Amino acid sequence: MSDMPKSGNTAALPRVSKGKRPQYFADPATDKLLSMVVTLMSELSVTRDRLDSVERLLAHHGVLDQSEVEGYRPDAEAAAAREQRRAAATARIFRILDNELNETLGPDAPRTYEELAREFAADPSERR
Amino acid sequence: MPAPAPHAMLPEVAHDEMAAQDFVATLRAHLASRVAPGVARIYEHRALPRFRAEHQRDPADRHEVRRLMSTDGYYQFWSALQRRSQEMMWESVIEPVERRHGELVERARRLAGETGCGSLRLDETLEIPRYHTAVDIHLQPGGYHSDFRADDVAAGAIYDTALPIYLGGALGARNDALGQILVGYLRARWPDIRPRRILDMGCAIGNCTLPWAEAFPDAEVHGIDVGAPVLRYAHARASALGMPVHFSQQNAEATDFADGSFDLVVSHIMLHETSAKALPRILAESHRLLAPGGLMLHLEIPRGDTPFEQFMFDWETYNNNETFAGYMTGLDLPALACRAGFQTEYCRIERGGMDMETGQKNYGDHEFTFPILVGEKPQAVSASARA
Ligand SMILES: C[S@@+](CC[C@H](N)C(=O)[O-])C[C@H]1O[C@@H](n2cnc3c(N)ncnc32)[C@H](O)[C@@H]1O
Repeated sequence: MSDMPKSGNTAALPRVSKGKRPQYFADPATDKLLSMVVTLMSELSVTRDRLDSVERLLAHHGVLDQSEVEGYRPDAEAAAAREQRRAAATARIFRILDNELNETLGPDAPRTYEELAREFAADPSERR
Repeated sequence: MPAPAPHAMLPEVAHDEMAAQDFVATLRAHLASRVAPGVARIYEHRALPRFRAEHQRDPADRHEVRRLMSTDGYYQFWSALQRRSQEMMWESVIEPVERRHGELVERARRLAGETGCGSLRLDETLEIPRYHTAVDIHLQPGGYHSDFRADDVAAGAIYDTALPIYLGGALGARNDALGQILVGYLRARWPDIRPRRILDMGCAIGNCTLPWAEAFPDAEVHGIDVGAPVLRYAHARASALGMPVHFSQQNAEATDFADGSFDLVVSHIMLHETSAKALPRILAESHRLLAPGGLMLHLEIPRGDTPFEQFMFDWETYNNNETFAGYMTGLDLPALACRAGFQTEYCRIERGGMDMETGQKNYGDHEFTFPILVGEKPQAVSASARA
């Protein structure tokens, strides 16, 4: 994921789409929290898949038994890599907050679906 | 979900990137097969009785259904989760593309240069229609048209990797099922047709253009789109697959092709991403481009039959930046085609479909066939351009 080194002079690609994000619940905080929960589900799912891969490979190669994992402590390099991964995951989970900034501060503050639907559905003969 | 068939332009996906994409696919399949059908039941058993008690009638249209449902707690959760799944779909495919961005651009340059299959013609001066720049259609950040570096192909790579997640693999390993449906329809209905020149409008990455080149290897096949990065990707992708297609950056409302220069003008799910002003112009342009005896086939997304179905398909209009799609609901496309130059007895709507599971349909378990706007341009006198 984003914690991996990037190849060459790669420009960052935007993650947030242009346009107003609808509000689904009476309290906008609920929208944000739900978004975070689903993203957390993803993080957990990815981690479980990875762990599953590792455990199956280790068992396949007869490398290790479970007790070794319990006793492991990361060295400085491993700790730094973990920190980077945790920070990236945290940023992903809270990305929903970027939307609010975007909508409040963006150069062309997005317009509502209703406005746009009206604009694009306007009778062409009237727009001549 | 069938694994996408590998080709040289598909970005390699690392272990955790794949796991993140797999999660979004699982989430969407769950929402489509387990939660969206619940919205229909909630409507029937909770919302509709409430509406009837209050108004002594049923909701008249999709807008009344939407106003009714938007206060329903179950619907709110489905809708909010569906929105989040769409955002996460893009996030999960952008990640690997960003990491290999430079490499993908290089690969596209090399493929386009080396194999020299077909051609690519870009137009830096082309004005991107406002219906693409106002908001990012279906939430793809940057849409089909934004370049994030020189000779960019990111939008194409992102679209190619997202499609299998979007419809749960229903579009097939090459993302070309809609092209196959339309080719199949043509073959069944006009078994003897031998088009010499074919135009695919709104071709994006050429996923549905290639079935036409495959079906008619002797024909000259063109694909146009307004987006440069998707076209660069399309050209490299077609080259990698050894398919000679001529891609050019043009607005389907007004192209630079000569009158009567195509025997077949087709599109796949393009019309609903335009506008009320652009749509008649695209149909008129289709008519202008057809040779006598030629055929226009525009395949579209279904929009539902009942007000409730229409409300569900309409979810994308109000939640997925498909701001024009709702306008297509119940629209008389053949009538529009007639006003654009086709003759009444030569245009109609037909339907094409494929087998889909509930988990692939996104908006519940109703019928999912694709309307096809058919327009024939009759032979002038006798010549047999289509024989
Ligand atoms: C939903 S995509 C479909 C892409 C492809 N045909 C497929 O079946 O997957 C719609 C495409 O139509 C293009 N498009 C929309 N309006 C257009 C126009 N006026 N002229 C040319 N292309 C257009 C968009 O840029 C986009 O690539």
